[in-house]
Amino acid sequence: MQFDPVANMQLLVSGLAFGSIYALVALGFVLIYNAVGVVNFAQGEFVMFPSYVAVSFILPAVTVFGTVVHWQLPIVGVYVLVLVLMTGFGLLFNRIAYHPLRDRGWMPVVISTIGVSIFLRNAAQLIWGSQPIVMPSLFAVDTISVGPLHIRPQDLLIIAVTAVLIAFQFFLFERTTLGKQMRATAQDRATARLVGVRVGRIVAITFVYSALLGTISGLLVAPLFTVTKEMGALIALKAFAASIVGGFGSIPGAIIGGLTIGVIETFGGFYISSAYVDAIAFIILISVLLVRPQGLFGERVAEKA
Amino acid sequence: MNRSKAGAIALLVVVLALLPAVVHSDYLLALCDTAGIYAIVVMGLGILLGFAGQLSLAQAAFLGIGAYASGWLTTHLGWSVWPSMGAAMALSALVGLAVGYPCLRLSGHYLALATIGFGIITQLVLINWKDVTNGSDGMGSIPPPAIGSFVFDTYGRYYYIVLVAVIVCAYVAWRIKTTRVGRALEAIRENEIAARATGIDATRYKIVAFVLAGTYAGLAGSLLAHMTKFISPDSYSFDQSVVFLVMLIVGGSSSISGAILGAVLLWFLPEVLRPLKTSYIMVYGAAVIAMIVFMPRGLIGLFEGVRARFARRSPEAA
Repeated sequence: MQFDPVANMQLLVSGLAFGSIYALVALGFVLIYNAVGVVNFAQGEFVMFPSYVAVSFILPAVTVFGTVVHWQLPIVGVYVLVLVLMTGFGLLFNRIAYHPLRDRGWMPVVISTIGVSIFLRNAAQLIWGSQPIVMPSLFAVDTISVGPLHIRPQDLLIIAVTAVLIAFQFFLFERTTLGKQMRATAQDRATARLVGVRVGRIVAITFVYSALLGTISGLLVAPLFTVTKEMGALIALKAFAASIVGGFGSIPGAIIGGLTIGVIETFGGFYISSAYVDAIAFIILISVLLVRPQGLFGERVAEKA
Repeated sequence: MNRSKAGAIALLVVVLALLPAVVHSDYLLALCDTAGIYAIVVMGLGILLGFAGQLSLAQAAFLGIGAYASGWLTTHLGWSVWPSMGAAMALSALVGLAVGYPCLRLSGHYLALATIGFGIITQLVLINWKDVTNGSDGMGSIPPPAIGSFVFDTYGRYYYIVLVAVIVCAYVAWRIKTTRVGRALEAIRENEIAARATGIDATRYKIVAFVLAGTYAGLAGSLLAHMTKFISPDSYSFDQSVVFLVMLIVGGSSSISGAILGAVLLWFLPEVLRPLKTSYIMVYGAAVIAMIVFMPRGLIGLFEGVRARFARRSPEAA
């Protein structure tokens, strides 16, 4: 195959866009893991469910419970509505799936998040049926020309929004009291509680924040794929892989791991094999785990003995 | 094992053996066969997770490897069924060894993720390696097993093969649990560093557990292939591995009877929920959360709790 710099630049942009999505979802994993020591297996449904809700209000006609509804709202209103709904969802998730099990080790929580995932995926199928739904893009054109490059504006939007969110998160964690309390809770819950941090509330906020990160990734990625009940599962697994490649528990690790996997996967899908594109993330993962089990940026080693 | 427990098991086996005499519906018998096959998979997972404390989410992939190995050997190479079953088990065991050796340097969430990765790669290979697996179209006309001229071609006949396999697997698991290997695995589960300090070769025992889990799943996969006569890659997904894990946890992870009970109960639960039509899997998800919240030690824990309460009521000195 001929080496084509233009094609490679386009692949790079598209890879960075997918990588940004993985990074956002990976951040959701890491924040929850740091706060409560558990991997949330319903993280993919934090991406899928709000996408369905959003698309029901964006399209002029959608079939809900077998009847056609016309709920179309202005798009900004839809975004606000979905974010508000998912805030409530994050709180509920914390109450039902985590809070009752908080003192029982990690396995029961993992199983209960799996339960939530099964529940939501099938709730989505029940409500919206099994046909994939196409979410319209915000942009009138599919691609724009930047010099010789043809780039999807949606890709640029994804990268831009991710950059803003990462900057926001940096500000939140480094400059605000809330962020410092979140970091304190992640580092040592008992001590955080001793110095007056209301740990339960911080954990609830972490679940909400994580749900919102998932929601934003869903709204960003849905126009590139279709909205299906399975859309979140593979994104979440790859994001989880990304967070481990970066070094689990590390926030820069999650971001760089996500971008790395997005880019390698896009190039691999193009140059090596499109049939095995979904295996690439896991091949990278297993290789990293074997060579450098703590990940690229990892410090924690306790779990890997 | 005390005498009353042995008696109860013998009675249970007799009742189970008589089941096909009362159940005549082919559909129900097929469900019973599958329940038994899943019980084998879940027992294998129980050895790995319950005994040794290592979480694997690739059990469905090993099931798939067993099913495809057995299916390919009988349809492409014309092997008869019994040696194919043996070969399927051996192949799953070998793959378990190859995957377990590097992966068991990891533990907890990390091991879980590495095994998820292995499971997804396996499923992609089953879909894309069309020369061997026939891709997403699946592999058909897999022959049923036979002894002499007696062919196990009905679900009622096949039931006895499954029953014998379940009994043998349960016995092997019980022998493992109550002998040196089981105690070593338990020591590793409770505290790996302490186990190593007392001279237990933790890595070797963990690999043994991983290989056993693979072997159980390989046998189950082969049994499934020769029962349904048709296999396709979508049955060996990550979601299926999750279902096996949930079965084990709901049953009670470190108990053999818990593994069997969890598999059978959760396999029949959707049947019970079928009147709910399309919402039944949703209710299933909710039921899983409820069981985890309200039954910390699984169904077996629940039974033991009830028994302990009765024992406390009856006077000790009697």
